Amino acid sequence: MYGYLVRRLLQFAAVLLLGSIAVWGFTFALPGDPATVLLGPDASEAELEATRERLGLGGSIVEQYVSWIGHAVAGDLGDSYYSGQPVVGELLDRIPATVQLAGFAMALTLLIGVPVGIVVALRPYAVVGRVLQGYLTAGLAVPAFWLGLLLIIVLAVQLRWLPASSDFVPLWQDPGGALTATILPATAIAVHTSSVTARFLATSLGEVMGKDYIRTARAKGVPERDVIRRHALRNASLPTVTIVGLQLGGFLGGTVVIEAVFNYPGLGRLLYTAIGERDYALVQGGVLFVVAAFLLLNLLVDVFYAVLDPRIRLT
Amino acid sequence: MSGGALDGAVRDGTAHGSAPPVAPDRAGRPVLSLRDLVVEFTTPAGVVRAVDGMSYDVLGGETLGVVGETGSGKSVSVLAALGLLRTPNLRRVSGKAMLGDVDLLALPEPDLRRRLGRDVAMIFQDAISALNPVQRVGHQIAEALRVHDRALSADAARTRVVELLDMVGVPHPATRYDQYPHQFSGGMCQRVMIAMAIANRPKVLIADEPTTALDVSVQAQILDLLRVARQETGAGVVLITHDLGVVAETADRVSVTYGGRIVEAGDVTQIFTRPRHPYTAALLGALPRLDTASDRLLPIPGQPPDPSDLPPGCAFAPRCPVSRGRAVCTEVRPEAVPDGSGTAGSACHFPDEAAGLLTARPEGARAEPAGAPDGAGEPGSAREPAAPVLDIREAMVRFPVRSGVLARPSAWVHAVDGVSLRVPAGRTLGLVGESGCGKTTLARLVLRLVEPTGGQILVDGDDVGKAGRSQLRRIRRRAQMVFQDPYASLNPRLTVGDNVAEPLRLQGLPYGQRRRQVADLFTRVGLRPEHADRLPAEFSGGQRQRVAIARALASRPGLLILDEPVSALDVSVQAQVLNLLADLQRESAMAYLFVSHDLAVIRQVADEVAVMYLGRIVESGSVRRVYDDPRHPYTRALLASVPVPDPVGRADRQRVPLGGDVPSPVDPPSGCRFRTRCPIAAAVCAEEEPPLRLVAGGHTACHFAERTAGMEPGGQAGGQGPAEQTAAPGPAEPAAGQGPEVRG
Repeated sequence: MYGYLVRRLLQFAAVLLLGSIAVWGFTFALPGDPATVLLGPDASEAELEATRERLGLGGSIVEQYVSWIGHAVAGDLGDSYYSGQPVVGELLDRIPATVQLAGFAMALTLLIGVPVGIVVALRPYAVVGRVLQGYLTAGLAVPAFWLGLLLIIVLAVQLRWLPASSDFVPLWQDPGGALTATILPATAIAVHTSSVTARFLATSLGEVMGKDYIRTARAKGVPERDVIRRHALRNASLPTVTIVGLQLGGFLGGTVVIEAVFNYPGLGRLLYTAIGERDYALVQGGVLFVVAAFLLLNLLVDVFYAVLDPRIRLT
Repeated sequence: MSGGALDGAVRDGTAHGSAPPVAPDRAGRPVLSLRDLVVEFTTPAGVVRAVDGMSYDVLGGETLGVVGETGSGKSVSVLAALGLLRTPNLRRVSGKAMLGDVDLLALPEPDLRRRLGRDVAMIFQDAISALNPVQRVGHQIAEALRVHDRALSADAARTRVVELLDMVGVPHPATRYDQYPHQFSGGMCQRVMIAMAIANRPKVLIADEPTTALDVSVQAQILDLLRVARQETGAGVVLITHDLGVVAETADRVSVTYGGRIVEAGDVTQIFTRPRHPYTAALLGALPRLDTASDRLLPIPGQPPDPSDLPPGCAFAPRCPVSRGRAVCTEVRPEAVPDGSGTAGSACHFPDEAAGLLTARPEGARAEPAGAPDGAGEPGSAREPAAPVLDIREAMVRFPVRSGVLARPSAWVHAVDGVSLRVPAGRTLGLVGESGCGKTTLARLVLRLVEPTGGQILVDGDDVGKAGRSQLRRIRRRAQMVFQDPYASLNPRLTVGDNVAEPLRLQGLPYGQRRRQVADLFTRVGLRPEHADRLPAEFSGGQRQRVAIARALASRPGLLILDEPVSALDVSVQAQVLNLLADLQRESAMAYLFVSHDLAVIRQVADEVAVMYLGRIVESGSVRRVYDDPRHPYTRALLASVPVPDPVGRADRQRVPLGGDVPSPVDPPSGCRFRTRCPIAAAVCAEEEPPLRLVAGGHTACHFAERTAGMEPGGQAGGQGPAEQTAAPGPAEPAAGQGPEVRG
């Protein structure tokens, strides 16, 4: 287990390094250089030179990267071209909001997806199983933004139960307020993702229920509830863990459309705007965060895998 | 942890050969009895009646063998009785399954559950997949205790489980408690299953093909353990198997299943010597024997009945040698007629004619020793001038073991390690050994389906290892392969005709000619040419294997590599295929390399035999030399491990199973590779690898080959263990089979 962890951590570091090079390098793929973008076409050569110096764009490519990554590690991702504020500060304003929404959405995804998946797998022919299968199909088919709009129209505009536009209310300051502010966008996201999760879980659980060791457990006289809880679910959860990890990574990268629909101040909208404004420093910083978050989640998924399945620890 | 009571019993039991069976309590009431059990499934083909009115009784302390072929309903009946059939297409389970006074089929779920695992316990086939891969082995056994005794503390359960593990012969039980199933070998997993089953001292133990996936040496260990488990618990044992040898070795009474019913039941000796149902007699005739090779097996013609379309009369009538089309057989379903001695009986209209089948058999069985036209020829004697079709010289295959994709190999698997073999035209070389010994790798090597690491393989004098692409293609045309699994080796999307025509198409034969040749090949292998347009799924296993053989014959090869060609087939069908192969060889003088783990099959088909162990040939020679005068302790132990389908005299039979499992081929033992399991290993065995040398007309790689002849197989009285028995098992390798834990 220990060796497995060390290997995975080393892999994580290596991939993160490669990812950072890619993120940093993408500015070179764009027409012009950041200084031209920043100062506009009318800038003089001297002004450009000074700006390049300030942005750390002098020297060889290797030097430039080393200086950039060095600053990044120290918590300095440069200043936003547009607002002139430090990129890190801009990101830190939005990341808590995004994390909170992602957390809510994931909690809802699991709360809906896991029970639905279990019921669909165990009672595929019963009425409840068929109804839930219908939910799964609908959940996959309905676009999240449309569902979001529907929720706003019904729950916010007509019934006036919840606010239509969601400000970020930190959970640690006002749990109730955070819940009311986040529940609508989280639901709009979770209906889709819970359908995916439930499908994966239902498929793998259905497969596991046919395995020999399930029959062994029943032959021991283990009650059916425990057969499922102790023997089936743990074996069936592996593919689902992968999907949940990917989904959570997607949430952290920002759910641009949902944030737009609910006017939610998340990372997705920040990056969307930054791209429109060609604020490369901000985009660079934001993407770096997303890449790191994705890799970290992948690492966690791998570790979780090893906890769940002893065979993985030893390979 | 010192040896538990059961462990001691294991040692005692094996030291005296097979322990005499406990006299079952015949007067007692049955602990389990099935009455008119019917199990039906709904399938697209209609209602399938998998079990058609099955009845049998098991008394406490006795072993009832339930023997039958695939699809005869022997497993389904017990699974249905215990409520373990959960497929959604289960249509009906009716009849009675009496456990003492209660009918299991009438019990509500919670009451049934309380009895499962406590009063009646099951041991399943393929123990590795029957254990939960993500739970510690000890916890899985402890669960069996704790679901039935909520008051049992975790610590007390652990103590009890460690005792149980020790009882069933799992070494280092306290350490093994915390390990996972994948760290156990197949035999060790089956021991764990047995520990789980006897944990609550059940009244009934049901073992469903408990040794089917295991090697013979491990099978013998497990059968011994089952016998001891019965003695220890006093349970009635239902042993479900397709293997007549296993039944003859272990059962007190036997029920023979066919077409979802019991066709004959009786005392084990009576069943094997005076069968009263033609199916039983025919099954015995179709079985290859280890003690004598008959000229020809007597297969049962046709295929097992289709349970979705059972005939109105006797299910066996279409294949029956006794029926001869008599109307009563095809119209009236025979009921089991007791023959006076209680539960014994035969479901045949003419039970007295059945025994005649068995006595009619010997003409074939006795023919061989007298004439011995080919079989007894010494290797390398008069017929040597004919150049061998296959000549393997010092062949070697090593597979790298890597820990990562880019990592350098950290070790090598010595799959085949310096093997030399020759097969002349018209002869069969049988290659036999346990799983993991490298026999399949060697077979694949001949067609270069794996790359050789060293040595030479010559097919008709052409070096397979050095052949270029086009030459390799020509060689592969002359040497064809038939694989074990006829379900996986045929392309399911091509018709069987196209499957067979594939080699011809590659040779560029025009369509019309191909059709003609395919029809020809179909006739040769006993298939109807008009079936060429069907898909493989429409054929049974035996027919598919015929298709695979037809495909192999298409390019008119001089050499057939047969890799376990009959292991997936039932006995009655296996005999058909073996006879077909013998006929084909006589017609065309093909050379066969016949790979099998089944020593009786090899005896039946082979002229010469090579015994493989951990990548090396340890003994080779004519069939007679290897089977009748084996000199290598491994060969002797293997032969002694095979269950003999003859219950007469089983109590006196020397049956000392080999201890442990085959060591890992990554790190084979120094010197003689067999020494870790060898009963006569001495210091020299660890130092010097014995060469394969001429002994008594055959070749044997043992330092003591001259002295083994008079010894009882493995019967070294003293506890002289292998040299490194005390050596700690390596960290990477689970301590699975270290040490002779079931040896006297």
